[in-house]
Amino acid sequence: MAGVNSTPEPPAWSVAREQFAAIAQLRWRIFVHSLRTLRGRLEVISWAFVGLAFVGMGIGGSVGLAAAAWFLTSQRQFEWLALVLWGVLLYWQLFPVMATAFAENFDSSNFLRFPIRYSSYFFIRMVYGALEPTTLIGSLWLIGITLGVGIADPSLLPWAALLLLTFGALNILLARMIFAWIERWLARRKTREILGIVFLLFIISVQFIGPVMNRYGNHRGRHSRVAIPGVAMNLVSAEKFTPPGLVGAALGAASEGNPAIALGSWALECGYAAIFLWLLDLRLRAQFRGENLSEAAAPRSAAATAREKTTVREGIALPGFSPPVAAVFEKELRYLSRSGPMLFNLAMPLVVLAIFLLGPAGNAPHPGAFRNGPGFREFAFPIGVAYALLILSNLMYNCFGTEGGGIQFYFVAPVRFRQILLAKNLIHGSLIAFEACLLWVAVCLVFQRPSIGLTLATLAGAVFGALVNFSVGDLFSLYSPKKFDYAVFGRQRASGTTALAVFGVQAVVFGICAATFAATAHFGKLWLATLILLAFAAAAFAGYTILLNRIDRIAINRRESLVTELCRAQ
Amino acid sequence: MDVPAISTEHLSRRFGDLVAVDDMNLRVTAGQFFGFLGPNGAGKSTTIKMLTGLLAPSSGRMEILGLDLTGNPVEVKRQIGVVPEGMALFGRLTGAEYLNFVGRMYGLGRDTAAKRAAELLEFMQLADQPKALIADYSHGMQKKLALAAAVIHGPKILFLDEPFEGVDAIASGTLKSMLNGMIARGATIFLTSHVLEIVERLCSHVAIIYRGKLVAQGSLEELRTGVQAQATQAGTDAATSGGKLTLEEIFLRIVGGTRAAAEQELSWLG
Repeated sequence: MAGVNSTPEPPAWSVAREQFAAIAQLRWRIFVHSLRTLRGRLEVISWAFVGLAFVGMGIGGSVGLAAAAWFLTSQRQFEWLALVLWGVLLYWQLFPVMATAFAENFDSSNFLRFPIRYSSYFFIRMVYGALEPTTLIGSLWLIGITLGVGIADPSLLPWAALLLLTFGALNILLARMIFAWIERWLARRKTREILGIVFLLFIISVQFIGPVMNRYGNHRGRHSRVAIPGVAMNLVSAEKFTPPGLVGAALGAASEGNPAIALGSWALECGYAAIFLWLLDLRLRAQFRGENLSEAAAPRSAAATAREKTTVREGIALPGFSPPVAAVFEKELRYLSRSGPMLFNLAMPLVVLAIFLLGPAGNAPHPGAFRNGPGFREFAFPIGVAYALLILSNLMYNCFGTEGGGIQFYFVAPVRFRQILLAKNLIHGSLIAFEACLLWVAVCLVFQRPSIGLTLATLAGAVFGALVNFSVGDLFSLYSPKKFDYAVFGRQRASGTTALAVFGVQAVVFGICAATFAATAHFGKLWLATLILLAFAAAAFAGYTILLNRIDRIAINRRESLVTELCRAQ
Repeated sequence: MDVPAISTEHLSRRFGDLVAVDDMNLRVTAGQFFGFLGPNGAGKSTTIKMLTGLLAPSSGRMEILGLDLTGNPVEVKRQIGVVPEGMALFGRLTGAEYLNFVGRMYGLGRDTAAKRAAELLEFMQLADQPKALIADYSHGMQKKLALAAAVIHGPKILFLDEPFEGVDAIASGTLKSMLNGMIARGATIFLTSHVLEIVERLCSHVAIIYRGKLVAQGSLEELRTGVQAQATQAGTDAATSGGKLTLEEIFLRIVGGTRAAAEQELSWLG
């Protein structure tokens, strides 16, 4: 045929081998090129330290688990060995999810535009997934357990090797399967945000474990102790059919000379692996067939289109502020209202109050901490407000992070940066005020109404803290911007310098406020704290005003790096 | 003497050792539909970024409507509309909210901004998805929205970086008629595009930048005459079989490319 080369096609395995080599070389070149910048080199150094920690964790854990496996095998307590394997499984599955924390993962569809076979694609996905610290650590731990079992009872070594090798493979498949499905859900903004909230709920519920155990352990110990065995017995019987339980059961059966039962358990374990493989295969095949995971809107029916027509409402006005300030304020408000995770974050101070209630405040004697001063519980209000300020520092220190390409608009529009930053600070201030009101009501309902003196002092402290954070935050927003997506969690790689600055500023602000509270409460003159903190706030306001007057020049000087960083493709 | 819409004097921009724009003296008269052309990496986007305040020049002077851009950035920006390379959109607003926001940022009253936003959405055929966020728009829809935002305040000069890239034929026709309407009412349009046919059809004047230097500037006819004169001097025939040189031919002759190079065959392509 004209225009088509008639060179004989090389064998499939040879093509696949070349493709794998090309991909490996690509990854290597990307790594080498990353070393061109100082940032890249620092990244590698930090990864070297993290890598050493992982190796230490793997080898240390391996030795510990080998000892545990040796002891449990010697005691013939294989059901407890299953419990140890549960720990390994949970670490293997949860750590990668927590560590990558719903970031945009590697886009495997990049490889799909090349003529690769499904088997090659599957292999690439498996290798990409397996080459991570969790696999290394998990494997080292399983080797340790195998050796521990083998040393305790050499006749069990082949069984342990077979069962734990299968268990390792099962873990790799399960982890890949989970990631492939999470990737599917993360591909769309809506599901990504829902998943983000689920993740936050999970993190929060983990935080509640300690206080709840503490509370119920102390107050209802006898009842719970009665209840626990029944629940535990049900769990134990179900656990026998889980992958770790099957390994324990198989080893137990093998040690008692029942190879048939051991083989049966191993077959069930293989069955689990097969199910995970099938689910993974289902996902990867869909990707391979060219499943569309893009964000683009789905085509709409003509009827739906006819029903909905855009009505443009007038924007909101902010009395006393110029139209650009009001416009940016409204825009920020809309951005916030469309970010589920961000709205959820705003409720976090209330969650902290709840943790506080179940923990120290729930158990603390009343009155408490300060002689002649208010009780420990009454400090829930200032603590909550301080926490709210801390949470909002994310927004304040990187207030252009969510703009993306929109940052260019601020440079081509006839507005001054002081107006833009003032509007952003106004929204942050409004959020702090809203949080303070919410917390005050919550503290009144849950604990007791904070005294007027403490309320006023807290508000004065909040004004002082907010103004300091606005000033430093505005500077860092211009000097150290980082592209940020509300819909994506974790691994957003906040600038290290900014993180240090946030820590330093909060240490100073909270230190001043705490010292003021402590000193005035000690002398029973908490009202004095309001005056002192208002004086600090006045000084902070003067600093903030001076900064706003100079911010245009700074922004103009920083425009190239701002645009480059924020318009960078993810 | 008429004040030029855009003028630069010895405008340069360096990135380390690389001179992206080198001693550029550009003059665009008010009311011109001006095409700014150049091969990839020639310095087109760097120039447009400097002219719109997105990038600081290393040296030289820029005046927009007689106002020095460095000294009067806000006054200048009030007169111009821009569709930059990255489109400068806020992904988590709806189209209506974005246009409303842009209108207010350009100093329009709240009612005027809302009214114009609604008109522009209708005109650009973007009114059908009121709840869709810009992040969920297709590339072409985003381009149309960026163009709508650039004209909402009725700018005297419009800077467009690749305005027709990714826009469908129907929308492209609408945009062209809108841009021609603006020209008829006295506005100036400065656009970059790789599609030379579009530039040839729309633009009255053209400048060509090559390796950071402005190598040609004038009306299409002036460029054509210049190229033909050069060819006559060199003893080669500049005219094509059709007689008149196309913009593509003018461009290739000026930047040193040839059709022969473009048509060079690759042996392994069969």
